[in-house]
Amino acid sequence: MNNLNSNLNTNLFKKLKRFLLSKSKYNFLNFICFVISISLTFNFLTWIFKSNWKVVTSNLNLYAFGSFPINEQWRPLFWFFILLSITLITIYGPKWNWLRKNLLFGWIGTVPLGIYLLNGGFGLDTVMTRNWGGLTLTILITSCSILFSLPIGILLALCRRSSIFLIQKLSSFYIDVMRAVPLIAVLFFGQLLIPLFLPVGIEIDRVWRAIIAFTLFVSAYIAEDIRGGLQSIPKNQIEAAKSLGLNKFQINIFILIPQALRVALPAITNQLIGLFQNTSLMSILGLMELLGVSRSILANPEFIGQYIEVYIWLASVYWLFCTTMALVSKKLEQKMTINKGF
Amino acid sequence: MKPILIAKNLTKSYAKGIFALNNVSFELDQGKVLVVMGPSGSGKSTLIRTINGLETFDKGELNILGIKIGSDNDERKIQKIRRRVGMVFQQFNLFPHLTILENITLAPIQVQKRQQKEAEEYGMYLLSQMGIESHSKKYPSQLSGGEQQRVAIARSLALKPELLLFDEPTSALDPERINEVLDEMRRLADQGMTMIVVTHEIKFAKEVSDQVLFIDSGKIIEISSPDVFFSNASHERSRKFLNQIN
Repeated sequence: MNNLNSNLNTNLFKKLKRFLLSKSKYNFLNFICFVISISLTFNFLTWIFKSNWKVVTSNLNLYAFGSFPINEQWRPLFWFFILLSITLITIYGPKWNWLRKNLLFGWIGTVPLGIYLLNGGFGLDTVMTRNWGGLTLTILITSCSILFSLPIGILLALCRRSSIFLIQKLSSFYIDVMRAVPLIAVLFFGQLLIPLFLPVGIEIDRVWRAIIAFTLFVSAYIAEDIRGGLQSIPKNQIEAAKSLGLNKFQINIFILIPQALRVALPAITNQLIGLFQNTSLMSILGLMELLGVSRSILANPEFIGQYIEVYIWLASVYWLFCTTMALVSKKLEQKMTINKGF
Repeated sequence: MKPILIAKNLTKSYAKGIFALNNVSFELDQGKVLVVMGPSGSGKSTLIRTINGLETFDKGELNILGIKIGSDNDERKIQKIRRRVGMVFQQFNLFPHLTILENITLAPIQVQKRQQKEAEEYGMYLLSQMGIESHSKKYPSQLSGGEQQRVAIARSLALKPELLLFDEPTSALDPERINEVLDEMRRLADQGMTMIVVTHEIKFAKEVSDQVLFIDSGKIIEISSPDVFFSNASHERSRKFLNQIN
């Protein structure tokens, strides 16, 4: 190890030469690992350059929008553009105070905007949800579930710490049940059982049933993350707030929740990235989100057998979005910890 | 002069036979400064915390600013008392996620429903009185302990309290920083603020206090003027305590 560390600043060629010529027994192992990894990378790269990417390039529209009517595809495209710009502003934007304060409302606003653009109405042609698909649908399910599950999670966490016996037990029971059931079961429940429970005449659309199921599931986990954050706040904070005459509600809103969210942010990010990936489970239940669309493309006789290309492409798309989410959350964390000197 | 605080037979026990407060009775007149002294674990913190309802008691009665609370610890009455009684803690207990000015204006805006602008102006006035108005946009962790404690004093003053409670306000400070906090407290006493101070600062107690209350094992051993207490304490226990901390 020492040998390697001291060489970090010299150039690659010198490093290699010393690496191969030195006679430590560890270096022999190192050499073998090196050769294996180089050859693997080389094979992978040659495979990437040799294989036919037509299955990806000729279907980009499908991956992005599913079977959204071609004339209306500017709508999800416009929504992507808005999302991209607000992401870039969050990560690289200027540090003006008014901008930073209103960014949260910007993020919240993207969700109703997306629903409006996809669904239509009020001057736009209505598009049925069965035509929503691809990356658009994946992002829509994720963002709606995030928007709903965060406040519900906060509420559940507060209820679980409530001094009222019934509320506390109900909330604990809900959280424990949701954590004990696999996600796929909750999703099946959402798709198959919710319609049975509803009174005749009321129907909830498939996409919305999926969003409800994800919200039910994720909010239980978020509640536990936030409860951890709440427990990390020292008791003297509550005493100070009490001595100033704040009531319980005000203490929660102004003192506890802002501090708890700060502590729980890394864990919540984890949940939300998991949520984004888990939306792919909906393809099993027949929704045409990113994975669902890809499976239907693979079923096309023209592209038969090109699994590897499609799945590598999918992996990189998921990677791109999850990394972006992680970056945004890292930015938020920095803003909270450095500026606020916590 | 009408007493601002009357405590009658306050009793609080944790287990059988162990008393945090044992039949504590005393009165405090408006504009007076009462210093509470005693060894650690003697119940002095418990005593001062019962006055704004952070601790409950089992028996007795408290009359603060005309509001009576009994052992039922009526939450609504305690809330009324807290709006008129300020408290400063040993560990400052500032809110780390709010700026200094936000720390000070939170309660006036939310509890007393004052206009934000008015609250901020008064907050800045209080900070300038303490000589730390340049820190108003910083966060608590960027300030030294003495500065944080002065902010905590300003925060409790922002509600225009009629009685101020200090729970060992200088115990968590560097020795060099103690005086800047004590000076503020002296200034408040000179302005006629009614205060109850738990402290070990004998010099401060001698100069500022009107009465010294010595408490041990939850029982009041003696209440006397500082002249008498520090030179000629009537009880053996108080003399022993004074010998040890001198």
